[in-house]
Amino acid sequence: MGKTKPQQLLIDYIISNQENYYRLAYSYVKNRNDALDIVHDSICKAMTTRHTPHKPEEIKPWFYRVVVNTALDFLRKQKSFGLVGEDALELYNSAEDTYEDLDLSKALDSLSPNYRSIIVLRYFEDLKIEDIAAILGENVNTIKTRLYSALKKLRLHLDNEREEV
Amino acid sequence: MNDKKLQELKNDYMNTRIPDELEFTVQKALKEGDKMARKQNMGRKWAGAAVASLLLFTSVLNTSPSVAQALSNVPIITKIVDVLTFQEYHVNEENYKANIKVPEVKGLSNQTLENSLNIKYLEENKKLYQDFIKDIEALKSSDSGGHLGVDSGYEIKTDNDQILSIGRWVVKTAGSAAETIKYDTIDKQNEILITLPSLFKDDKYIKVISENIKKQMREQMQTDTGKIYWVSGTGTDEELFTEPFASIARNQNFYINNSGKLVISFDEYEVAPGCMGVVEFTIPSELISEILVSNEYIK
Repeated sequence: MGKTKPQQLLIDYIISNQENYYRLAYSYVKNRNDALDIVHDSICKAMTTRHTPHKPEEIKPWFYRVVVNTALDFLRKQKSFGLVGEDALELYNSAEDTYEDLDLSKALDSLSPNYRSIIVLRYFEDLKIEDIAAILGENVNTIKTRLYSALKKLRLHLDNEREEV
Repeated sequence: MNDKKLQELKNDYMNTRIPDELEFTVQKALKEGDKMARKQNMGRKWAGAAVASLLLFTSVLNTSPSVAQALSNVPIITKIVDVLTFQEYHVNEENYKANIKVPEVKGLSNQTLENSLNIKYLEENKKLYQDFIKDIEALKSSDSGGHLGVDSGYEIKTDNDQILSIGRWVVKTAGSAAETIKYDTIDKQNEILITLPSLFKDDKYIKVISENIKKQMREQMQTDTGKIYWVSGTGTDEELFTEPFASIARNQNFYINNSGKLVISFDEYEVAPGCMGVVEFTIPSELISEILVSNEYIK
């Protein structure tokens, strides 16, 4: 049984970009094992859906959407059990540390997943606003508004930190 | 917020440690996903055939006057009704295996019902066998190789004084397997075949039962994260990829279990991913008591 072309494109993408989407998964769950689980489940989901994108450039945003949704699903379920990932715990415990990049990442983590997603996808993954809108299932204007307020919140948080120190 | 800060954050992000197991996890998921996808294709093709043959049978039953007349005959003595293996089909080649068991109902004094069931079972399995032979030949001539298998048999779901429910299952294997199951439920005392619509006053049951099943799906998914159904309103991204379950069919597969509860059955891939297999929902009797013709069978 030969593979159809879109499926082969998807498999190629999955194999050659594993580090990228692993990082994305990790940015949500902050835990190695959970991130690996999300990678695994996302691939299974992507492979079994009926609507695989046909154009190569559509694959990345499409697959990111699967990863983001899987991660959000996971967080939602985890929340209902009241569990927090190891690294997330560590992060809270080390609140006294004053490394600057830790403050920064703490600031980023203090954002709700909705806002954080946008920062991660826009600035770390260098995706276009249109693609982010597609990944998060929102319209472009919503994304722009959220990006603006996410940046504002981030700055506010950092300024507060500095005043405290 | 300046660019430097964002750059720092980005560096942080890019420095996420990549675990050694990642490569392995990805390969494993690709294999599993591929397997599931193949199974899904097979299952879909097969589910269609199963539904078609079931529809054909019910329409024969509904339009044939002799069958209808026979069904209305009420015998005085209930005999022991048995289900036996009538015939078996086997294929045993290196890459192609078939193991088909044809059940036969015996002991009904309503001969027409007995015959019609037995003929149906024989026809069903003959077709299964012939299709399988065709599939093998197609595979052989296309020279693509691969394994094919078909297994079928039956199980008695319920056998008490009143009800006999026979389930016939089929597992088609092409790389991995897809299972379908069909039921016949017989009123042993009155010697009639019970169909789903015949249990209810009107077609309202389709909606009532469908809504209850959706509710059960959502509840199960909430309490057990291992369960997945294709149902709307759960907020999972399963919804993105599949058409959610909307309604049971008028003649949805069902049986009546030993405690007199109506059980609705779905084939593998009908309402859930393959890992869920064949799924069943027991419908609370109090929910449908109002719309049942009588509470003779369902309590």
